[in-house]
Amino acid sequence: MKKLVLSLFVIGGMLTSCSNDDDGPDSNSVESPATYDFTRNGNSTVSFGGQSTRILMADEVVSALKDNNNNEAKIDAMFAHVEGEADFSDANLNASNKSVRSKTAASTDYFSANTTNANAIKADFDGWIASQANDVFPNWANIAVAGQAGQLQQAGGGTIRYINGKGLEYNQAFAKGLIGALMIDQILNNYLSPDVLDAGSNKVNNDNGVLDEGKNYTTMEHKWDEAFGYLYGNEADPNAPKLEADQFLSEYIDRVEKDEDFKGIADDVYDAFKLGRAAIVEQDYTLRDKQAEIIRENISMIPAVRAVYYLQSGKANLTADNAKAFHALSEAYGFIYSLQFTRMPDSTSPYFTKAEVDGYLAQLMTGNGFWDVTETTLDTISDEISATFGFTTAQAAPAI
Amino acid sequence: MKMKKFFLGLILVGFIVACSSSSSDDDPKGGNDNFDRDALLINVADNIIIPAFEDLQVKLSALDATKSTFVDDKSQTNLDALSDAWLEAYKSWQYVEMFNIGKAEERGGKEFGFVSFFNIHPLTVDDVQNGAKNGNYDLDSGNFHDAQGFPALDFLIHGLADSDANAIDKFTSNTSNAGYADYLTDVIAQMMTLNNSYLSDWKGNYRSTFIGGTGNTATSSLNKIVNDFIFYYEKLLRAKKIGTPAGNFSNMPLPETVEAFYKKDVSKDLALIGLNAAQDFFNGKAYKGSSNGESFKTYLEFLDRADLVTLINTRFNDARQKIKVLDSNFVTQINTDNTKMTEAYDALQLAVVSLKIDMVQAFDVNLDFTDNDGD
Repeated sequence: MKKLVLSLFVIGGMLTSCSNDDDGPDSNSVESPATYDFTRNGNSTVSFGGQSTRILMADEVVSALKDNNNNEAKIDAMFAHVEGEADFSDANLNASNKSVRSKTAASTDYFSANTTNANAIKADFDGWIASQANDVFPNWANIAVAGQAGQLQQAGGGTIRYINGKGLEYNQAFAKGLIGALMIDQILNNYLSPDVLDAGSNKVNNDNGVLDEGKNYTTMEHKWDEAFGYLYGNEADPNAPKLEADQFLSEYIDRVEKDEDFKGIADDVYDAFKLGRAAIVEQDYTLRDKQAEIIRENISMIPAVRAVYYLQSGKANLTADNAKAFHALSEAYGFIYSLQFTRMPDSTSPYFTKAEVDGYLAQLMTGNGFWDVTETTLDTISDEISATFGFTTAQAAPAI
Repeated sequence: MKMKKFFLGLILVGFIVACSSSSSDDDPKGGNDNFDRDALLINVADNIIIPAFEDLQVKLSALDATKSTFVDDKSQTNLDALSDAWLEAYKSWQYVEMFNIGKAEERGGKEFGFVSFFNIHPLTVDDVQNGAKNGNYDLDSGNFHDAQGFPALDFLIHGLADSDANAIDKFTSNTSNAGYADYLTDVIAQMMTLNNSYLSDWKGNYRSTFIGGTGNTATSSLNKIVNDFIFYYEKLLRAKKIGTPAGNFSNMPLPETVEAFYKKDVSKDLALIGLNAAQDFFNGKAYKGSSNGESFKTYLEFLDRADLVTLINTRFNDARQKIKVLDSNFVTQINTDNTKMTEAYDALQLAVVSLKIDMVQAFDVNLDFTDNDGD
């Protein structure tokens, strides 16, 4: 992992060395605290309630997709929650004025000037909800075959998966796609963006210690915390994250960390969050932005590594256990979808464009989708993703 | 949950240690230790595996005969005879369950292989009842792995269908009685056909393939049989028979997941036989008779690890004592005093450590099954 990050740094260094030699004042003097613990006058300045709320809401939406007693309208209402509506089992969520849909494909860098794509992406999620409710729920009790939605049980009395006619689990497409469209997009392309961090008078106010009305933080501090919240927002103790705190980014950065080939990624991200936040307190914006780059590079890896992992895992189980294979391929589908929200080092572009991602998904879904996808297709897509991100399929694949 | 992560960590260490030693070539004499893997493979194939499959075939044929008698004359006496034959076959199965290799591993999913067609419990009763009602079932599909084999027979012979008052009613007064008889027939036919195919393969081409695979790669015979043995011990014996019902992998005990849930009073017998099967295999004891041949035990002794042999056998014996004190009906035991179930689990678990880490390292084998990635 260190070699990989180092090489990314080298590339980043090569790209920036000609343009920016200024290291900023006293970069060496900013110390990172042991934990994500920041205070002002003895009280914490850290706040990311909106992010925690959306993670919990997203969790309920994904669960709702697996309950065939629901209908399209009900799940849509959860996804696009309106304050006060009794959409959720949790009263706090119902009282909230936050919604998941409003922050789906909504980052400043990628979508403030691209409403077309933003709407298309939101429509994808709406579509998965509609299809689950209208195509799969009615076929819940039927055995799925190629071209016919229904259920398929994993071998040995395993978990039952509910799939469409092409073998896709919409709940997986939704959940893994949301990791990109909500968590990754908001972190990498919104809250870590200078356009957001330095918007309006944020910099001046941060320099002068001017706090948000009625709060204990500056706007810039809060924006950075909101990025932090989309990854660590569901931790029991966010100061000391244990990961696997939710089924979204927290879980999958943990999975990637547990692959020997990528070990260290979790610490790299956490350390960069801490140091960047400390840099804000010390008004060292160059250091802050360097940490933002580190976070972008590392978090971008997550959907890429997991996409390849699940493509290979699916490949290994095709025919022998189709339910297990289709489940893995559905997760791959969602992670591939998320690739359009990644961020190449020192750029404003993702590693794969929306068109390229849609192309891969079309390949996977051609004909009867997973029912007749070939090993060659799965390998080719795996290899292309791996090569683009600078790792190998073997490194990301399951350990067998 | 912490236990799992701890052992996952230990396994990782095991991987690192195992991988760091120089064993990559398909040396005809096995790993770098000059142990005669050939002799071990021949002993287990000829004196344990093939005789066990043969015995199962005999017992399944007897089961089939009692089934035919019952279907022709649906009396309680004949149903009792069917039950006895079922138990005899189930006992014989305990010696076969670990050999998920060769033809047996070709179908049923990568994790359980042929066990998917013989012993997935708990049963999904609805699948059996619906199957009997409408004839829509496909025992070859993953949707019905939990609706066939010994557990399905257990339900058919001893359990109550729908709102029946007696087990036999499903074959007599129940409106779907013809369907239940068909289901009974089809389940047994599936088991016989499959077991016959495994035995034919062993007695045909597979024996020489198995014996010839003396290298030290993931697909070599010894590596595969080590993996199968440990998977059986950990997942099927320790977990499925004891741990899962006792609630070790869930928030509360799950008594309905015990083996032979409908017969009720043979769960302990089957667990003891399963443990015997594992220990006998470890010690190279012939299936018929009492002679011992080349085995994991002798291999470890060759490697100067007699200490590990003693430790493992001691742990097996301790586990046996803990299982012996359980009620013959595990459901009763769970509901009366589940601590004794978890103590049996803990005793079985001690052997897992010795097998999965120490023995595997000594043999320089890699384990090819990992704890599930989950979602």
